[in-house]
Amino acid sequence: MFDKDRPSDAWLSSLRDRFPCEPEVDRFLSSKLERRAGPGYAPVSLATLCAGVEALLRPNLDSHFELSNARWLTGGASKLQMAFDLTWRPNAEAEQTTPMVLRMQPAESIVETSRLREFQLINACADVVPVPPAYWVDADGEYLPYPGLVYGLAAGATKPSSGVGGEVSGMGTDYGPRLRELLAPQFVHILARIHTHDWQGVELSAFEIPGPGTVTAERQLNWWSRVAEEDGLADIPLLTLAAQWLRANLPSLDRVSILHGDYRCGNFLFDEASGKITAWLDWELGHLGDRHEDLAWVTTRTWGHPDPDTGVDLVCGMMPKPEFLAAYEQASSLAVNLETLRYYQVLNTWKTAIMSHHTSYRAAHGGKTHQDVLVAWCIGVSSKFTEQLNEVLEEVM
Amino acid sequence: MDLRAPLQLQAMIKSMTDVVLPALDPANQMAQEQAQLILGMMHLMAVRLPMEYHYDIDQLKRYLALAGELQETVTGGPLTNAALETLVQSSLSGTDCLTRPQVSPGDLEAAVLDLRTQISGLVEALWQDGEADCRAVAGKAVLAAAKEQILRERAWFVPQGWDADTSAIPAIETLIDFPTPPGQTGA
Repeated sequence: MFDKDRPSDAWLSSLRDRFPCEPEVDRFLSSKLERRAGPGYAPVSLATLCAGVEALLRPNLDSHFELSNARWLTGGASKLQMAFDLTWRPNAEAEQTTPMVLRMQPAESIVETSRLREFQLINACADVVPVPPAYWVDADGEYLPYPGLVYGLAAGATKPSSGVGGEVSGMGTDYGPRLRELLAPQFVHILARIHTHDWQGVELSAFEIPGPGTVTAERQLNWWSRVAEEDGLADIPLLTLAAQWLRANLPSLDRVSILHGDYRCGNFLFDEASGKITAWLDWELGHLGDRHEDLAWVTTRTWGHPDPDTGVDLVCGMMPKPEFLAAYEQASSLAVNLETLRYYQVLNTWKTAIMSHHTSYRAAHGGKTHQDVLVAWCIGVSSKFTEQLNEVLEEVM
Repeated sequence: MDLRAPLQLQAMIKSMTDVVLPALDPANQMAQEQAQLILGMMHLMAVRLPMEYHYDIDQLKRYLALAGELQETVTGGPLTNAALETLVQSSLSGTDCLTRPQVSPGDLEAAVLDLRTQISGLVEALWQDGEADCRAVAGKAVLAAAKEQILRERAWFVPQGWDADTSAIPAIETLIDFPTPPGQTGA
């Protein structure tokens, strides 16, 4: 069997030919393969990270600044996060201390993405929806051990202090009746605002603007087909079958939207007392594309749970799917095409199965992350996604 | 040799629970999280390690059955025919694995991975130059086989706690013909 732990230049070249992707996606996937035969993730101390952040900030800040109170954060399955306080003078104002977060990728992770895209997308949406302010990016790991970005630490909780579920990445969070009523309308309206945001003229140079027709769906299909090839221990017939169906049924794009890419419970912060959403996090999978991709992601059954009173499945613990889609159409004035939605349901569950089965295996196998035990643990959830993929393929094939 | 995996795991779990976890700095979130996961992983190994061989035998049997079904029903152009020929060879190797006395766990796993790859290769070829009718039949066969595989994976990973309600998931022992000692039920 071909040794994917020591990829050759010829193999990388063939992957690039077989699966054309957006230039920035091609760049970070190629970079991953170029690093693969190298060492695994070496533990980095808080002091080293602070030194890297200081080096990143020095060319960007004119006046004296100081980092303090550095500490590890948990909560994600992919990126390494360090919280710290920055004492500085933003825009020559009076000195202040701002809680910050460094979000840095390890050598490989459960999902390979671009810090530059994440940085640009957060800034692109900063005036439209609540996001943590993104201050600086080290796109190529010039100052930090690996690429990273620094953003403001947002206040809020990802799940209720007395809630049920949400232990793993927010899956199945039960917000309870009071918070559900407060959060659900915001949850819908923020998504509508992201999708209807006029992105033209905004700095999004790390993204390809999708042309008309089926290009945007094809780019996604190529991206994740390439990841499956790069990371899988061995092909899985179900995933191969899904890829054939996806290629034979590419939908046309009717409108280009900014997509969050991972819009669901667990990826936003809220104030528990007021029920106000304070920040949307984890924009690393965002891109310009078809709103149905986000809508299919939101309505993935795994994120939600049945209503304890009625037994009806609640989308991300918020509301039943028909109500969610109707509320979205009203808030965005954009139609939901159920056939396109179904296509992206297949694509999303297939993509998530690739991440949880193939990429988790490869990253942990190579010792490439700061939390291999968590990444390996996530392989166990892949059958929940393949089960959904199997169900939706049975309906469409 | 009396120091076997079950005893090693039992001793490590006890040490982690009684000594290591209580001594960790509560403020070090990453260390706390990973220590809990190490413990969880050791518990999973303790209940699943004795079954891995049976799991792979069951898996290999089902992939061989799927390969046989596809070989009987699929026709197409040169790519499909080439993929079929490769699959026939993999099926012969896989069958040999099952019937060979004292087959090693490594050989079993390799046979499973090889069949996964070659069946996938046939599916890919079929969508390039296979007969259209065959695609539908092959697609249904792959989905039916995947359903069985997924059920076993769901059952295998029940101890990880991904499902709040596991009442609809059969015990893994019953799915892979693993002999359960009298009076015991599966995790």
